[in-house]
Amino acid sequence: MALLEVQNIQKSFGRTEVLKNISFSLEKGEVLAIIGSSGSGKTTLLRCINFLETPDRGVITVGGDVLFDGANPAKKREKEIRKNRLHFGMVFQQFNLFPQYTVFENLVLAPKLLAKEKIAEEGAFYGANTYKGAVENINAEAEQLLKKVGLTEKRDEYPCNLSGGQQQRVAIARALALNPDVLCFDEPTSALDPELTGEVLNVIKGLKSSDSTMIVVTHEISFARDVADKVIFMADGVIEEEGTPQQVIENPHSARTQAFLSRFNQYSD
Amino acid sequence: MDQFWSITFQLLEGFKENCILFGVTLLAALPLGLLVSFGSMSKFAPVKAVCRTVVWIIRGTPLMLQLFVVYYIPPLLTDGSFKFSDRLTAATIAFIVNYAAYFSEIYRGGIEGIPKGQYEAGYVLGMKKSQIFIKVVLLQVIKRIVAPMSNEIITLVKDTSLARVIAVGEILKNAEQFTKQGLIWPIFYTGAFFLLFCGVLTLLFRFIEKKLDYYKG
Repeated sequence: MALLEVQNIQKSFGRTEVLKNISFSLEKGEVLAIIGSSGSGKTTLLRCINFLETPDRGVITVGGDVLFDGANPAKKREKEIRKNRLHFGMVFQQFNLFPQYTVFENLVLAPKLLAKEKIAEEGAFYGANTYKGAVENINAEAEQLLKKVGLTEKRDEYPCNLSGGQQQRVAIARALALNPDVLCFDEPTSALDPELTGEVLNVIKGLKSSDSTMIVVTHEISFARDVADKVIFMADGVIEEEGTPQQVIENPHSARTQAFLSRFNQYSD
Repeated sequence: MDQFWSITFQLLEGFKENCILFGVTLLAALPLGLLVSFGSMSKFAPVKAVCRTVVWIIRGTPLMLQLFVVYYIPPLLTDGSFKFSDRLTAATIAFIVNYAAYFSEIYRGGIEGIPKGQYEAGYVLGMKKSQIFIKVVLLQVIKRIVAPMSNEIITLVKDTSLARVIAVGEILKNAEQFTKQGLIWPIFYTGAFFLLFCGVLTLLFRFIEKKLDYYKG
């Protein structure tokens, strides 16, 4: 069964219908790339999955658990939503690191805050059943994650002293520190200078080999082609085309997909 | 020379009142202002409307007038059965309300200036709203408001002399009494007390700003 199942998501802002009946599913370890022009609803879809927006209709299921059901208001309570969010990690276009904390503190802040609550409610967190044990594991994991994104040396720096690419790598490590089922990226390289996109894309590529399940909203078509298992092309709030990179990017059937991709190819290669 | 020291001591007596007024106003208005700022940003329209109206009235009328209102209106309304026994208390109430209104706007500016992304980053990391405010937003707000706050607090030091309009025995009122003896210089001498006090505050705020200088953003 699919790890993530999104069914019939619909979302309007005022009278503008931004998402019209979006459905897709994702297997564990798969990488999904969502492409499409600005305003097609890609980012809103990602924000709905992370519960930063509340869909008007639809169902979101992770590992068989219904996390959101537009028809069931009990699924919209804050405590419930907070718990559901932990199934997902999110990396923002603008990084959104906490500027007053060091790189390391950025990584451990949220897990430490969660540790007490989780141990009280579920008896264990981060492979430990005491707060102290959990904190030790959290710290150790944070060091590992910094190594993974190649920033061990920047451990005690503040975000303002890092390049955009480094900040985004910290943001990725921060999202991973909560070990989400699905890691989402919202145009992770769009705010970066072109020469810095490579280091971030390489980190994401590296995560694929460690079997993370990911959704990447991106304008990097060649990255989507190389890394994604599945590509969705969105236009005007609907999934216009969906399939493997070979199907969607190399041999698009829809005229809109063809038009979108040809605009990209005009300048690349 | 003896006269100089005796006058200095009498002025200090008066300045004590200024310091009490300053200290109590600050201690009460800082938290009250934060509450009012939350009210002004409330999603619940009536609360927001009430808070914004109060802030408008307080900021839109002279502090001197507010001192008169607090001191003279209660006896008028109660036919003289309620009267402030202590003028300093009346002055303190007027000051707290006035400064809470100004502080609330400084807080609001600071809080609304925090990028939405900071909250969203907290949300997706499973933080509670209260945790986001305390652990993520608060220090950033403090950093943003140190400069406008220090400005307002230094103004408060000097505003305390306004309490003389309801006959609080503060330093300027004390100094004025010496004019009856033909001494005018004590009035100008009071400036030294204010300057010294504000000088110390300026150094303190500079220290706080330096402390928060370790990060940008």
